[in-house]
Amino acid sequence: MATRAQPGPFRPAGSAGAEALATGGAASAGGPGRPGPLQDETLGVASVPSQWRGVQGIRRETKSCQTASIATAEASVQTRKHADAEVQTEVPAPVGARTVAQHDSPRLAAFLRRVEAMVIRELNKNWQSHAFDGFEVNWTEQQPTVTCLHTLGYPPAQGQGLHVTSVSWNTTGSVVACAYGRLDDGDWSTLKSFVCAWNLDRRGLNPQQPSAVVEVPSAVMCLAFHPTQPSHVAGGLYSGEVLVWDVSHPEDPLLWRTGLTDDTHTDPVYQVLWLPEPRHSHRFQVLSVATDGKVLLWQGGGAGQLQLTEGFALVVQQLPRNTKLKKPPRGETEVGATAVAFSGFDPSLFVLGTEGGFPLKCSLAAEEAALTRMPSSVPLRAPARFTFSPHGGPIYSVSCSPFHRNLFLSAGTDGHIHLYSMLQAQPLASLQLSHKYLFAVRWSPVRPLVFAAASGEGDVQLFDLRKSSQKPTVSIKQTQDDSPVYCLEFNRQQTQLLAAGDAKGTVKVWQLSTEFTEQGPREAEDLEQLAAEVAT
Amino acid sequence: MQAEVEETLKRIQSHKGVMGTMVVNAEGIPIRTTLDNSTTVQYAGLLHQLTMKAKSTVRDIDPQNDLTFLRIRSKKHEIMVAPDKEYLLIVIQNPCE
Repeated sequence: MATRAQPGPFRPAGSAGAEALATGGAASAGGPGRPGPLQDETLGVASVPSQWRGVQGIRRETKSCQTASIATAEASVQTRKHADAEVQTEVPAPVGARTVAQHDSPRLAAFLRRVEAMVIRELNKNWQSHAFDGFEVNWTEQQPTVTCLHTLGYPPAQGQGLHVTSVSWNTTGSVVACAYGRLDDGDWSTLKSFVCAWNLDRRGLNPQQPSAVVEVPSAVMCLAFHPTQPSHVAGGLYSGEVLVWDVSHPEDPLLWRTGLTDDTHTDPVYQVLWLPEPRHSHRFQVLSVATDGKVLLWQGGGAGQLQLTEGFALVVQQLPRNTKLKKPPRGETEVGATAVAFSGFDPSLFVLGTEGGFPLKCSLAAEEAALTRMPSSVPLRAPARFTFSPHGGPIYSVSCSPFHRNLFLSAGTDGHIHLYSMLQAQPLASLQLSHKYLFAVRWSPVRPLVFAAASGEGDVQLFDLRKSSQKPTVSIKQTQDDSPVYCLEFNRQQTQLLAAGDAKGTVKVWQLSTEFTEQGPREAEDLEQLAAEVAT
Repeated sequence: MQAEVEETLKRIQSHKGVMGTMVVNAEGIPIRTTLDNSTTVQYAGLLHQLTMKAKSTVRDIDPQNDLTFLRIRSKKHEIMVAPDKEYLLIVIQNPCE
């Protein structure tokens, strides 16, 4: 098919032009009026002009602006006078020191006049009232009997026949550690021993598997946990060394040791204690007591070495002569110390128990030099101030009362407990608890009149001086075959717990009945009365 | 005036079984006391708060009522508080057992 372009000229577009275009195409198709076949045609462009819009142009206008000029003026200033003043903050006065001025005296007098009569009336009524006689309120669940909470042991140590020589609770009251050794060996032993710790608050506590075990090359005779660090424990060995371990690091627990130097004890260390340092009361030193007559103070130095800071030596010639003592055999000048206890009321006063059976009152502040030829890097001093009258045999344990500054207990191999007052040499009371040895005695931390003793007959005896001063209130059988109980400790945080270790290698944690943990009224006064029975 | 105040307090203090006497003002600050400083401050602060609470308890139950006296009996002793608009008199007595 051919496409035919329109032959006519391009006319300017208009409505008429559009018509012409439209019809033109149809007319040219075919001849005289006969509709032709459909054909393709292209037509021209049709455009419609805008009637309202003219040429778009850009309209321009020029404007400018300018800030007005700034007015400036100069002036100068000079200080002519000045004065110096200092400012200083002052330590705020403690609130308690405030006392109100006297000017409200008349109002105070009027107030007292108003209330005096009523108060006196109530005081009188109270004094004569029987309303509360025998009325006691129980805030906690009552525990009527003493029960054994845990029986802990370490099978390898028990297999070797080791005894528990010492137990100690840590500062949070949740971990109990025990030291294994032997208390009946007469000569040097090369026995390996252990220090085991159980965390009683942990779930899934396995009594036969301690949470921490430390192997020690020699028998451990005594143990003491650090007063503020929950995992540091000090121990004294049969060889005379003092070691400090950290039981939270089982792979490398040893922190400090004394080593075997000239300063170390030459005899078994029977007791270790932690003492606050005199100047920095948050740091502690270790005090160790041994049968070679020395009382030594150690401080943790660099490189894991315990340095000797102070030392005391007990020599027979320097003992105070206020009590007649048996003459010691020739050649012996040392007084072996077997136990030590510090008084809670006077930080420099301590009581030593000796092999001769007489307790000694000693002071850390003693100045006199000791007449001893033992070598030492620090000058040794003689600490004894007062000698008390002796037991029938060596003393194994002393304990100072936490409630009264003058009272302390001592227990020895004669099976007796002596209650001494610091003011006199004769004991205030002497109680026979056992026909065998007594190995440990401790005052209760919560009840002023209660103490516990560990006997060689295998029981732990609890004494309540309010109930009876002759026989024990409760006697707990710890071992079935009467083998001795060697050590016991009260838990200061959870005051109903008492741990005791025996010759079978087990540590039993006893839960005491409420009568041993709750203070009755007037107990402190009763203790005062007891202490006041000092013979004049 | 001064002598009268001292005399009255001495009379109360010398009564049978009285362990300590103190007078506390409306803000809980001790004015007169027979006990040592730290104990006094502790007693004053705690008992002032307790007295205010007791007073509001009584008033809440019955707005026409008011607190006249407060006694706390414990295992070891009895604490008596005589309240007033401006002052509190606190007496600690150890009744015979």
